[in-house]
Amino acid sequence: MTAEENAGEEGRVVELPAASRATDIALDELELVYAFIYARVGNRADAEDLTQQVALKAIPRLRQGAPASAIRGYLFATARSVLGAFWSTRLGLSEAELHEDLALAVPTSPPSEEGVEIVQSILAQLSDNYRRVLELRFLHGYSLKEVAAEMKSTVGAIKVMQLRALRAAAKVRLPE
Amino acid sequence: MNDRPENRVEKIVADLLHGRRLRLRGGDAEEKEAITAAARLAGMRHGPQRMNPAFRKSLERTLEETQTEGWITRRAALVAGLGLAAGAAGGAILGRDLSPRPVQAAAQPIEPQNGRWIDVAALNDLVEGQGKRVTAGGVGAFVFRHGDTVTAVSSVCSHLPCELWFDRHDSNLACPCHPARFTPAGRPIDSYTLPALNPVHARVTAAGRVEVLGTE
Repeated sequence: MTAEENAGEEGRVVELPAASRATDIALDELELVYAFIYARVGNRADAEDLTQQVALKAIPRLRQGAPASAIRGYLFATARSVLGAFWSTRLGLSEAELHEDLALAVPTSPPSEEGVEIVQSILAQLSDNYRRVLELRFLHGYSLKEVAAEMKSTVGAIKVMQLRALRAAAKVRLPE
Repeated sequence: MNDRPENRVEKIVADLLHGRRLRLRGGDAEEKEAITAAARLAGMRHGPQRMNPAFRKSLERTLEETQTEGWITRRAALVAGLGLAAGAAGGAILGRDLSPRPVQAAAQPIEPQNGRWIDVAALNDLVEGQGKRVTAGGVGAFVFRHGDTVTAVSSVCSHLPCELWFDRHDSNLACPCHPARFTPAGRPIDSYTLPALNPVHARVTAAGRVEVLGTE
């Protein structure tokens, strides 16, 4: 039922509640979009900027009073396009170059759940050293120096290992 | 030293782990897989994230205002703290043939009160096609050489007051705060409908010195 129909049933036309309800639906959907984007850019400031872009691009569609399911599909399609533009601009690549082998940046569907379990599944597919260095840095928040001490190595060697581990992690494909 | 890929990627990882925004430079594209993997690991390490309440509130205001107004002016969006996104939205709305058009301020040259010409470099120090960041009192600018002449644009992004940097990778000016880029002439590129950068007066003296109209 659209907001307008609902207002009609109650025998009065009240624009504000209708607008508010549409906004509430949009905000709930945008929470999912935010989580989706955050999981790909890894920081709040960029995630907020990109979520705003998605919201503003979606406003004409939201104003049409579409159902939540249609809004979700549109928002996530917009989120993918905004993420693609974000990475291509930041990396100075055309989107075609970016998309060649960057499935991580342009996922094909919204995730049901994302979190430590997915990080663990990615890490589980790496060799012991690669997994260890990324676990210590990303899950335990160790500094490079602390990782080097823990792994009985040097900061320079850990930096190189971290780069190789990230390259390897990028190649891990998980079902979306 | 810092140009080594492991150092560049470590800097990005450290930024992410400290919750800072992604700041990428020309050349980082070579490590795009490692960088996006780092962003993904950083983004998922604490589980699904929810919007900060203040951000959600500002988004709510924006949605309600724009639903009422039907279109977004650049000013309204800036008031709501949405400058760049408004540019993108403006483009999206324009694409749907809604009117009126978002306001886009014309880029006026910087005319400092009691301005004076400040010596900033020798013409020979400037490399064709490469922007040089200069300061003329209170005016920051990027100066570009074109043979025996020069042009200059403000070094401050037309969206947020962030200092631009010259990206040698594509010879454009890039904003570190948002994915906004400008040509050496100050024209915005990408899909955002940002205003152009303010031109800055610049000249070459008979002695081959570059001067910029700035302040004391």
